[in-house]
Amino acid sequence: MSVERKMKTVLQASALRKIYGQDDNAVAALGGVSLTVDAGEFVAVVGPSGCGKSTFLHLCGGMERPTDGRVLVGGVDLNELDDEALTRVRREQIGFVFQSFNLLPTLTLVENIALPLMLAGIPRAICRSRAEDGAGQVGLSHRLEHYPSQVSGGELQRAAVARALVHRPVLVIADEPTGNLDTENGQRVLRLLKTLTSGTVAILLATHDKALASAADRVLRMRDGVELPSHGAVLAEPPHVGLGLRR
Amino acid sequence: MSLFLKFIVRAVLRDPVRGVVTIAGLTLGVAVVVAIRLANVSSVQGFEAALEVVAGKTSLEIVGAGVGVPETQLAELGWLRQYGRVSPVIDRTAQLETLDGSVSLLRVLGVDVLRDQPFREYRLLRFSEGDQEPSPQELLAVLLDPTSVVLTERFAVRHGVNLETPVRLRVGDTAHPMVVRGLLLDEGPARVVDGHLAVLDIATAQWLFDRLGWLDRVEVQLFVPDGIDIAEREIAARLPKGLRIQRPAQRGRQVERMLAAFHFNLAALSYIALVVGLFLVYNTVAVSVISRRHEIGVLRSLGARRSLILGFFLGEAAVMAVLGAVLGTPAGWLLAQGAVRLTSPTVNTLYVTSSATVPQLGFEDWLLAGLIAVPLSLIAAAIPAAEAARVTPLAAVRDAEHQVNHREFPRKPVVAAALFLGLGAWMSTLEAVGGLPLFGLGAALAVVFGAAALVPILLELMRRFGRGMLTSWCGVEGLLAHANLSAAVARLAVSVAALVISLAMLAAIAIMIGSFRETVTYWVGQTLQADLFVATADRAPIGSTATISAAVERDIRTHPDVVAVDGFRSVDLPYGPGGDLIILGAGDFGVLLDYGGLAFKVPAEGAAAMRTAVGRDAVVVTESFSLKHEVGVGEAISLDTPHGPRQFRVVAIYYDYSSDRGLVVMDKATFARHFGRQRPTGLTLYLDPTANAEEVRAELLAAIGPDRRIFIRTNATLRAEVLRIFDSTFAITYALEAIAIIVAILGVAATLLTLVLERRRELAILRLVGAGREQIRRMVVVEAAILGLLSQGTGLVVGVVLSLILIYVINVQSFGWTIQFHLPLGFLAQSTILITVTAALAGLYPARVAAQIVGERAR
Repeated sequence: MSVERKMKTVLQASALRKIYGQDDNAVAALGGVSLTVDAGEFVAVVGPSGCGKSTFLHLCGGMERPTDGRVLVGGVDLNELDDEALTRVRREQIGFVFQSFNLLPTLTLVENIALPLMLAGIPRAICRSRAEDGAGQVGLSHRLEHYPSQVSGGELQRAAVARALVHRPVLVIADEPTGNLDTENGQRVLRLLKTLTSGTVAILLATHDKALASAADRVLRMRDGVELPSHGAVLAEPPHVGLGLRR
Repeated sequence: MSLFLKFIVRAVLRDPVRGVVTIAGLTLGVAVVVAIRLANVSSVQGFEAALEVVAGKTSLEIVGAGVGVPETQLAELGWLRQYGRVSPVIDRTAQLETLDGSVSLLRVLGVDVLRDQPFREYRLLRFSEGDQEPSPQELLAVLLDPTSVVLTERFAVRHGVNLETPVRLRVGDTAHPMVVRGLLLDEGPARVVDGHLAVLDIATAQWLFDRLGWLDRVEVQLFVPDGIDIAEREIAARLPKGLRIQRPAQRGRQVERMLAAFHFNLAALSYIALVVGLFLVYNTVAVSVISRRHEIGVLRSLGARRSLILGFFLGEAAVMAVLGAVLGTPAGWLLAQGAVRLTSPTVNTLYVTSSATVPQLGFEDWLLAGLIAVPLSLIAAAIPAAEAARVTPLAAVRDAEHQVNHREFPRKPVVAAALFLGLGAWMSTLEAVGGLPLFGLGAALAVVFGAAALVPILLELMRRFGRGMLTSWCGVEGLLAHANLSAAVARLAVSVAALVISLAMLAAIAIMIGSFRETVTYWVGQTLQADLFVATADRAPIGSTATISAAVERDIRTHPDVVAVDGFRSVDLPYGPGGDLIILGAGDFGVLLDYGGLAFKVPAEGAAAMRTAVGRDAVVVTESFSLKHEVGVGEAISLDTPHGPRQFRVVAIYYDYSSDRGLVVMDKATFARHFGRQRPTGLTLYLDPTANAEEVRAELLAAIGPDRRIFIRTNATLRAEVLRIFDSTFAITYALEAIAIIVAILGVAATLLTLVLERRRELAILRLVGAGREQIRRMVVVEAAILGLLSQGTGLVVGVVLSLILIYVINVQSFGWTIQFHLPLGFLAQSTILITVTAALAGLYPARVAAQIVGERAR
């Protein structure tokens, strides 16, 4: 691997394997998947339900440890980190967006957005200011003091996007981010993700929505826990009409 | 039943901590109630058992007014023999010194052996070597020797005493050489007070106890026991003035009445832990209902009736209650051992000397436990169970995740708090019922419920206004803790209320005891003016007390530094229609007025009023006597004397905290005129101002000699002794309160744990967005500390209100004492820190559980 390549590589997953359970109960969720994602790159992971997409994302995000293989985020081997260091990596280098939004119902939207900064010990005024900026970028300036239960699903996911980016991560991991949204809101969230991360932040997005995957720079196709061979094109089918997100 | 097992029991087993904590809370609550009942029963039972065995087959007894029955009247009572056998008795206590140097307190019966044999079933094990079962005549022949004493086999074995062994019987300040001339078989009266019984000939007893010419009582064994009612009436009508007839059990009833207020207050206190335990039941069932709304909805949609759902949750409460009762009853018996150890000194010092042992658990104890635990638990669970029954099938299809409730300010709790507090204020103005502060306790209970109703309001205020402050103080953990608590106001309200109540009771009791202690300290400073206090070794709180011998009094009075001596004599006297045992005291008013310092309540010029009582049939009375018997200055009270009832005018009322039985004090000349000349039971000495009390004490003891056993306490020693007794009196109070707090803190820990387990997903999100384990742990501990601080703050305010009820209502109605309100600020500050830290520590386990939750769960 060249020095230049190493400099711009954000995520490097090598031969990741994950087995749940032991002995007779052992289930192989992932059977040796590798992927490298560079800064500014948008990679979609596609495949049917249960193919191991989410497990792969969890391993890449340091949410779980692999049975075998390595994950490097920003050149740091996650396997070698203890729990606290891993937490720091998640807090400082990775942003997460999930299908079910995963906002804390007990915090207002602006507090939810500011949470990663506050957990990092950044002064409150700065947290607030950056969270308000983030909310503004996703069109939620008028919803700052609302609680999650008081806003729509689209607004929740936009707040989740703002939270994922507020601490300026190098990698955003999104697991079915539009799965709970209607088409219009799904498009809006995807557009925001791409716009706000443009050029600097890598995106690793799992979906089984072919149209959404068509917006990615590259696609990792999976089935039964293993990577399928690439056909050279992103998808066999044409992209979703009107998405217009290819860059 | 099968569905109940699947739906309720399995769920409880899945989350065992909450169930275990609730059952533990109920167990402790039931245990404390059972323990205090057993302890209360044991103190009376110990006395009554001894009374019953010593009374033997006695049907009726003739007693005199205070000082006993004049022997001269015995001749006038010859007609009593028409009704049955008659036996005069001296019944006292004395100390027996054996050869091994040990000194034991013995009950001493002085009897006329020839007349007494049919009354008491004691049999001589041995009379002299080789002899068995002597005739009464033979026994009399031996006992006529004034040095003869009969002990029990049990006592003899324990102390290595045998026939013809010399011993010394210490009566008052004088030790009398005696010889053991017989041993009683270990049965009947010989078993009383664990074998601590001695039998003397009545003449010997009269001589030893300075009772020549007096009998303690005359016992009657009726020929026709069934005709006791008629006999009692007829004998009462024929008795000369100054004598009364009663059944032996009446002494037990008098003791019961005397202890009633003390026992009542202890029992009331014992229910606090149970109330806290019931809050836990409410909490557990409420949490169970809230967290399982979705499942209830599914059951309802599948056709489950409302009554079935209601039955499930009431059944959950009933199972916990039954387990609490089953475990709590034997635990109560164990706790009773400790309770008896803690209460015995108080009972023995202030009320009655008895050998208290915890009775075995009886059916009524199990019944009591079941009757308090099960119905009360069902009542506690009724509200959440009814809420469960109201869940509609729609709940099954709605989002079961909890939503933050941005509701209006809760109005119902405001109304409930106002109603309860108003009710409490009204009840605190009502009078006692039968000498018991029922309305006072009702007022305290209303305030407790008012405080419980206040808790949701305070939590709501915390939710609305606490976020900024907590974030400033504790950073992001403060923000998160506030957010979490805000979302769980409804669930937290009950467990916080339980903690608030127990802390309020602790604060109230601490304030009451602190105030009482300050008052007693002030009173002791004002009234204990004498330099030295002389008493015999075997002072008893009730019954006949040994007197100071003339020789000792002479030695004391002749000491050059002793400038004044007040000889004090006290006797127990039944008073009023209920026959309550009061204390009648006689002292030298002249000395008391010149040197002493009574603290008068009314009139302002109490000393001048007291001076007018000298030489007249007038008395001063204590505040507790005045309040209990509703007697004021200027009124006349009727006291039994050996010459019949006599009227005495009350000239002053003074403060006294030595006994809640009530004291009536008259000048010694007045006492002698009515009750005959009696030797004093205690002396207070006033010394030359230049004298050193310690030195004089040593000189007096040297002058009196080692053979005479006498206690001489200096002013400082007696003051310390008063406060020591005071502190030991309230040891049980703190112990009961500590248990209630333990139960409440367990409740808070269980609630926090439940909240943590329910918030697994949110905690996982937090971990995902970068919260470290330490931050999660801190967040939960901050939550616990907030709850502790909030509870303690509220508890302190409510505690002050409760303490006012305790001091100005319950205490006055129970004991008749004025207590000056005093805030023990140091204690309250310490307890605030302690409770906050303890609550935070209680959050450690939930915090640990929370910190172990990993991000993986937030998919």
